[in-house]
Amino acid sequence: MTHIQEAEVAQIVRAVLIDVLGIAPARAAAFDDATGLFGTLPEFDSIAVAGVLTELEDRLGILIEDDEVEAEMLESFGALTAFARAKVAG
Amino acid sequence: MIDAYDWPGGREAMLRFGPAGAPVVMLLLPLFEEHNRTRAFGVSVLRALAARGIAGALPELPGQGESLVPTEALRLDDLRAAAAAAADALGRPFVATVRSGALLDTDAAVAGRWRLSPQTGGDLVRELRRLRAQGDGMTVAGNALSEMQLAELEAADHLDARIVRLESDPAPAVRKIAGPPLWRRAEPDNDFALVQTVTADIADWIATCAV
Repeated sequence: MTHIQEAEVAQIVRAVLIDVLGIAPARAAAFDDATGLFGTLPEFDSIAVAGVLTELEDRLGILIEDDEVEAEMLESFGALTAFARAKVAG
Repeated sequence: MIDAYDWPGGREAMLRFGPAGAPVVMLLLPLFEEHNRTRAFGVSVLRALAARGIAGALPELPGQGESLVPTEALRLDDLRAAAAAAADALGRPFVATVRSGALLDTDAAVAGRWRLSPQTGGDLVRELRRLRAQGDGMTVAGNALSEMQLAELEAADHLDARIVRLESDPAPAVRKIAGPPLWRRAEPDNDFALVQTVTADIADWIATCAV
């Protein structure tokens, strides 16, 4: 597996949200750090949370423990990306 | 055509597509929730194969899809026995699996194995436990799965095959193809381009397997 650069993480998070939530790429392209996710996007329900986390694990080559999953990291695009970036950096 | 096959635990339906006397592809869809998400895609692939003169079969497996067997009572060996019985009824078919369907053809006598984005038992169970944690803490998408069932699945792996994955998936594969992971979508969806790519890959693979 090739190592993922930190800069690529935001693009991968965006792609995962498109694929799991079924939202239009154009809509996802407009996401910025402040864009609300869990609790804001109607598509982002608890079932989708499991899909997003698992897909992020597979695509980023990371492992997310259940006790790391908190509401804050799912709150916004910026928070989720920052979490993923920290995991990738190890 | 809606056909049926018998396995030691009873009788299940089997959808049949395409001409008689042609090579047959038996499609095994993923378990549980992903089954419903990939069913329209799977049927589209079998129809597209039929248009190329390749027959197809979609066996209902006990406890999945339209089957009346309760999921709670299901064992991995039952699923594998049912897949083997369906393969016997078809007469040594080619098998194509999607995601965790890859875990089910272990005991089946088949002419060859082809897999789209196969999932190991360990990955499947990690996700099922996460779904349970995110949900009511008891059931997985409405299925009450016992720890025994989860442990059986967790230890399961798939046999060697031609493995095709999506470009977004970094795991090893002989070919990476473009397309969305339909098994992730909460609302079942289909993708015409992915159907065409997968159908062509299966048809080409069967041509190289044929003796």
